[in-house]
Amino acid sequence: MDASKSEQYEAAIHGDREAFEMIIRTHSRTLFAIAYGVLQNREEAEDVVQDSLVKAWKTRWRVRDAGKFPAWLATIARHRAHDIFRKRRAVSLSNETIEATESHPADTMAIDQQLHSALAALPELHRTALTLRYFEEMDYRTIENTLGLTNGALRGILGRALASMRKQLRPALASPD
Amino acid sequence: MATIHNEIENWLAADLHGELSESEQSALHAHLVDCAACRKAHHETKTMNKILEETLAHEKPDPAFERRMLAGFRNRIPERTGVSKVLANLMRLRATQITAVAAVLLGLVQIGRMLTGENAAPLPSRENYVREGFVAQPPQAGATGADQSTSLAKSDELTRGRSQDLALNEPPPPAAPASRSELDKETAAMGLAAAKVAAATPQNLARAEQAEAKPGETPAPVQANRKLIRNATVQLEIVSFDDSVQKITALANEERGYVATTSSEKQANGKLRGTVVVKVLPENLDRFLQKVRGLGELKNQTLGTEDVTKAYLDTDARLKNAHVIEQRLVDMLKTKTGKVSDLLQVEKELGRVREDIEKMQGELKYWDSQVQFATVTVSLAEKEMEEPAAFLIKERSQLALYAPDVEKIYNDIKALASQKVQVTNAQLNRDYSGRVSATMSMLIAPEESDAVITRVKSLGRVENFQTQTERIAQGGSGMSENAKTKRDKVELNITISREEQEQAFQQTSLRIRTSSVDERAKDLRAVAEKQGGRVRSSTFSRDPNGRELANVWLRVPMKNYPTLMQSLDSLGKVENVTVQRQDRTGTQIDEANAPADISIQVYSQGNIVSHESGLLATLRRTLAQSAGAIMWSLRMIGVAIAFLAPWVIAIVGVIWITQRVVRAKR
Repeated sequence: MDASKSEQYEAAIHGDREAFEMIIRTHSRTLFAIAYGVLQNREEAEDVVQDSLVKAWKTRWRVRDAGKFPAWLATIARHRAHDIFRKRRAVSLSNETIEATESHPADTMAIDQQLHSALAALPELHRTALTLRYFEEMDYRTIENTLGLTNGALRGILGRALASMRKQLRPALASPD
Repeated sequence: MATIHNEIENWLAADLHGELSESEQSALHAHLVDCAACRKAHHETKTMNKILEETLAHEKPDPAFERRMLAGFRNRIPERTGVSKVLANLMRLRATQITAVAAVLLGLVQIGRMLTGENAAPLPSRENYVREGFVAQPPQAGATGADQSTSLAKSDELTRGRSQDLALNEPPPPAAPASRSELDKETAAMGLAAAKVAAATPQNLARAEQAEAKPGETPAPVQANRKLIRNATVQLEIVSFDDSVQKITALANEERGYVATTSSEKQANGKLRGTVVVKVLPENLDRFLQKVRGLGELKNQTLGTEDVTKAYLDTDARLKNAHVIEQRLVDMLKTKTGKVSDLLQVEKELGRVREDIEKMQGELKYWDSQVQFATVTVSLAEKEMEEPAAFLIKERSQLALYAPDVEKIYNDIKALASQKVQVTNAQLNRDYSGRVSATMSMLIAPEESDAVITRVKSLGRVENFQTQTERIAQGGSGMSENAKTKRDKVELNITISREEQEQAFQQTSLRIRTSSVDERAKDLRAVAEKQGGRVRSSTFSRDPNGRELANVWLRVPMKNYPTLMQSLDSLGKVENVTVQRQDRTGTQIDEANAPADISIQVYSQGNIVSHESGLLATLRRTLAQSAGAIMWSLRMIGVAIAFLAPWVIAIVGVIWITQRVVRAKR
């Protein structure tokens, strides 16, 4: 990480509002990708980003190592998204019966919907890695840093994610070609 | 190749995402050419990647996303403005943080002090005292050390000067530096010793003086090699000068000494005065002095010891040195080599050295003689047996008066002033409570004195009168029996005080129990006034239980006291009578008019049962007490917090700083 970024994080931690707003500009898309990876819902993900930023500002003094500021932001966003996710599940449980009647068999669904359900079937980490890659076109190193993964782990994760999706989507993949 | 085949998904994903290095890419492509299954997977993955990219492109945040996020953030956390912003920025500065913490600590300490009532003024510090003590000591040591060293340095310089003079063209004689270094060493040792002793110097000096003042005691054993010169002077008052000189001569012979000089002088009144200088052996000096003191009245005596060891040794060394030089010069003359002028020079020098030698020898001899005998200088003066020619009788009287009106009497007495009566001092004092007193001094011609004193006495009540007569001898000649006596002016000192201030001759206190306190108190006043008494103060009180209490203090002349006491019986039941009489011996007292104080307490029994009883009262008391206890414990908790909080804050601060430091190191 270059020095100017580290300085920016340091300033933000010490309450420099301008520095923090700069971080919002550069990092909110990443946060969004993370939240979306958990929730798969744009509106909810936006709310999560918003909440996470406010919470980060209020508890910025907890960050001891300025270098870990982005990772810390990501953690906040992931936790917040999980909270929302849990609430949603509680609500959806009561609506389960209705949804069940509305669900369609897999083969009749459009390819978009199939893809979404395939995404939903992935483990959360895999999904988040995918969103970070496909939303922000981040390189593997940055994604690994953001998600707190060890070097080289991402290649396996993305490989497995793509493979399992491919298996689920095989019928649909075959048809358009 | 097998690894690529096994992990084909990872390789394909990385390939699609452009995360393969060139060599990896070529390896993958090579495998794809070979392996049909992997080729198929590659194909599928490529298709899916496309679909994924297309689908997720819809889900991507729109371009205005960041602005929205910022706006939302600003909305939810409004920026500080004005003072609060300045404050917030200030608080981010390390210096401000430290200052704030310090201020909080100080504040807590102050609160703690206030709560515990500890005085903020610093104690008169022991440190200061000690420091002063230390500062005071060293200069003393320095001074004594310096004195000695300067005196020694002088002798040093002398030596040096001499040796330089002597040196001429020759190398310096070996003895001189040797003696010098010896001396230096000794000087240093003395300086050290002086410094060591200095701490206790004052006591030591005092002790030394004491020792000197007691000639009866044997002096400290004198070291054999020490050269001490002892001196003593004695001043005596004797009846006959000649007798005393004879006796002193006899005493000197007894102590194996001799009278060195005698001188005498006749004074205007025909009396002789003179001095006798006696030399005695030092060891007999003390005994001799004791005997001499028996000759007459001792007026003054000093005893001194001078240590000339150093100077003596110094001169001795120089003498030896000079002898050596002399010898060399003599040798030079004997060989008779060199120019005539040089020889002349040598001869001249020889003469000078010899002169020096003689001088030094004389010095040593003088010291020897001084040391051998102690010198006692006895100053004698004949007593003046004169008789006074006349006596002056001085009379001094002290008069203390009590009067109801101090100012009136004060003015009356002032009016007595005439040619024969002189008022030297008159003072009227009024103190803060309005009490008036006066002091006056008068000088009265002897013939008028009795009349005036009687007149003054009649003005008030005499509390005390004392007369003092003194006979003072005046110069002149003649026997005391037929000396003339003369009466001087009589001095009269008067103090006038208001009667109120007079201490009562007799003090009585009693209690009267009655049912109607107020009425009885009024009766009491009436009775007192009838008997010529005055009420000095009175109080009345009623307590919540209905008990009434009146205190009355009366003052009556002694002559009316018995009547008053009798009339008190009519007021109620008289209890607890105590009488205290103050007989003042040695002073004349007008007993009939002397004041008697009576303090009377009139009281009623009141209600037996207190209002403050029953359940409610008990509850109230209990609550009040518990509230008090709670307040007390709150206060104590406050004290504890005030004491502990600064420590806690300090400890937390230290921990925080160490953590920061450790992390910074990592």
